[in-house]
Amino acid sequence: MNRLAPLTLYTPGFAHYGIAWSPFHTTRLAVASAANYGLVGNGRLHIASIASLPGVPPTISLEKFYDTQDGLYDVAWSEIHENQLVTASGDGSIKLWDIMLNDLPIRAWQEHTREVFSVDWSNMNKDLFISSSWDGTVKLWSPERPRSITTLQAHTTCVYQALFSPHEPDVIATCSTDGTVKIFDLRMPAYAPPAPGSANFTKPLSAAALTVPASGTEILSLDWNKYKRYNLASGGVDKMVKVWDCRMVKIGPAGQETAFQAVGGICEAQFAGHEYAVRKVQWSPHRPDLLASASYDMSCRVYVSVSRSWLLSSLHSSLLLFPYYLKLVLKVVSNHELFDRWSTNPTAAGTNLVYIHDPHTEFVVGCGWSLYEEGVLATCSWDCKVNVFRI
Amino acid sequence: MERVRQLVSHLTPGSSTGLAALERKNPDDVVITMAIRSPLCKAGKGGFKDTRSDELMTEIFKHAIARSTVDPGLVGDITVGTVLTPSAPYEARAAALAAGFPDHVPVQTINRFCSSGLMAVTDIANKIRAGQIAIGLAVGVESMSQHSDANAREFSEEIKAHPVARDCAMPMGWTSENVAADFDISRAEMDEFAALSYQRAEHAEKSGVFAREIVPFTVFVKDPETGKRTTKLVIKDDGIRYGTTKEGLTKIRPAFPQWGRGQTTGGNASQVTDGAAAVMLMRRSKAEELGVKILGKHVTTAVAGLAPRIMGIGPAYAIPMVLEMVGITKDDVDLFEVNEAFASQYVYCVKQLGLDVEKVNVNGGAIAFGHPLGCTGARQIATGFNELHRRKGKVLVTSMCIGTGMGAAAVFVRET
Repeated sequence: MNRLAPLTLYTPGFAHYGIAWSPFHTTRLAVASAANYGLVGNGRLHIASIASLPGVPPTISLEKFYDTQDGLYDVAWSEIHENQLVTASGDGSIKLWDIMLNDLPIRAWQEHTREVFSVDWSNMNKDLFISSSWDGTVKLWSPERPRSITTLQAHTTCVYQALFSPHEPDVIATCSTDGTVKIFDLRMPAYAPPAPGSANFTKPLSAAALTVPASGTEILSLDWNKYKRYNLASGGVDKMVKVWDCRMVKIGPAGQETAFQAVGGICEAQFAGHEYAVRKVQWSPHRPDLLASASYDMSCRVYVSVSRSWLLSSLHSSLLLFPYYLKLVLKVVSNHELFDRWSTNPTAAGTNLVYIHDPHTEFVVGCGWSLYEEGVLATCSWDCKVNVFRI
Repeated sequence: MERVRQLVSHLTPGSSTGLAALERKNPDDVVITMAIRSPLCKAGKGGFKDTRSDELMTEIFKHAIARSTVDPGLVGDITVGTVLTPSAPYEARAAALAAGFPDHVPVQTINRFCSSGLMAVTDIANKIRAGQIAIGLAVGVESMSQHSDANAREFSEEIKAHPVARDCAMPMGWTSENVAADFDISRAEMDEFAALSYQRAEHAEKSGVFAREIVPFTVFVKDPETGKRTTKLVIKDDGIRYGTTKEGLTKIRPAFPQWGRGQTTGGNASQVTDGAAAVMLMRRSKAEELGVKILGKHVTTAVAGLAPRIMGIGPAYAIPMVLEMVGITKDDVDLFEVNEAFASQYVYCVKQLGLDVEKVNVNGGAIAFGHPLGCTGARQIATGFNELHRRKGKVLVTSMCIGTGMGAAAVFVRET
């Protein structure tokens, strides 16, 4: 793949909201998009792929697209069927598509009462996916069933994202307008006791195994670390990317015995630098410490979330086998040297920043790491462009 | 349209400012768990005239320990605001130890003239915000009986030649006359506001409002003949003149006929007073851990600078500044405590900012019960929270002018 200029796919008239790499085809991408920046009007699902022939510079091209009645806010590929994917729509609907067919979805569900903001396919129980909505709920679905399997009343306000844990089949994390990240155990459905003094029996909240008060403002995105259990990243309106150690969570029967509604989460690291709200965070599928974030500030940034001492020790290890990673690590080390010399502030911002992608000319709302090629990142934006580049 | 509004909320973290944000509770909020004050007593003739400044400090520390219900050993730092006390760092540290704070609890003093009490609170709040401490005590104290206001030492030639800098030596009374003259504040308006202050304070005092914020002080009295010192209990302010009217105040002779229009009198300026106040602050998560009742939170403090010769109008700069910082308007504020250093500057600030008189100093102010310089900033918080609680209000703004040309203002939010 070309190392200098990013590959760019332009979809005029459709601003992007979400991007997903196919887990089956190494170079296939799906992009959820909407006309009029998703504020009003229809949507479009784009399927694109990257062609790289020997001797010719690689190119990205649109393979197919599907039009929808309302804007699309997210997309997730099926983990069992290579040609299927689900989309989250502004009209509250969820649609299952088969890219071997044209025009229409193969199934549609209409249960959410407001905009659906995220969909995520489980890669452990591969016949299940979840959706999250502005109506405050998270719903569990099987592509085979006409109705949702479970509904969690996860938050009282908008749930921007819900994601399955990559380590445990029945554990999900959510983030919301209310500034919290919550972890739920789907095997332990229960309602939280109403808050003292309130008499709200009509819309009780589902009991979370752990509530992380992650920010004073809205949390727009989260992601599970693919290597460290109960390690999550969050990003939101406070412009910060934060890394949370949530290993104190009690899952399973242990969680039911102790008090539900546990509050906790240790903020392991936080990265400042984005000038506007962070819209998306995603951990690298290849590295436990590499994190990408996309923001309304029109940039996508990559952070290495490790300490200086670890970096120095790791310089001597097998890292040397991965030249691109070595490059990043050296950059972080030199950043740290700089801050040691010039500043006494231990939380100096940006020292873990290793890459900024800024060719986009509008809000960058989505980013996704290639599942097959290490260090390759795709971003999608309101400038109607998908950029694919190597960090 | 809701989608547009949602997008706007992402981009303009109105979500981190504004009234809704103020009311949000975060574990790292700086909360106030106690705000108390001593009776305020006239300097030279009131209840504390024979009590030393270190004795006032010891007494307020003792009450802080008793009223806070927090183990004094858990306090991470103490900041004492005081202006005139000559050996303040010695007295504050020693008084804290004598009152029962263990020796591992440090003490610092702070002096930004009349805002010192608020600066003590701000200092502690910022240390909590930065994560340096979890619990802190802010105290404001002044014995104007013991230490008179000596004014500035003579400045250098260079300063005296500077047209603005030299004004820093102006006596406060002079700056009051400057404000009245520059902004055309009439004697009648000044006396009217002063009378209102007395009437409100009298009403508050008689209806027991102040009793809820005052801690009774055990202080010393000296027998004028034998010189023997004995103790007595003082339970209420002694500066409030009952039955004060505008007509009565109009008859008082000017205090500074040599300056400006000579409109400032003993009746429309703040009284010279002794007093102390204490505010306990902690991180919300700490308060919840300890199970201590939370009165409210400190949101932020702003300090503005202006020409020294009209220092009294500092609040007219500081209040808009602090409101802007937290993203609210004056209409979102339920109660203002604006220090009445002089009626001239107080009238100007209320009018210039367009404040609703029914929301400002509703229990009177320094004209009626006195202005112990270092104490006032902390005293306003005790009075403010007490009144907010009474009227079930949410947002309190305290403010004061500061000698040498500054103004400070802070925003607090009451919780239930």
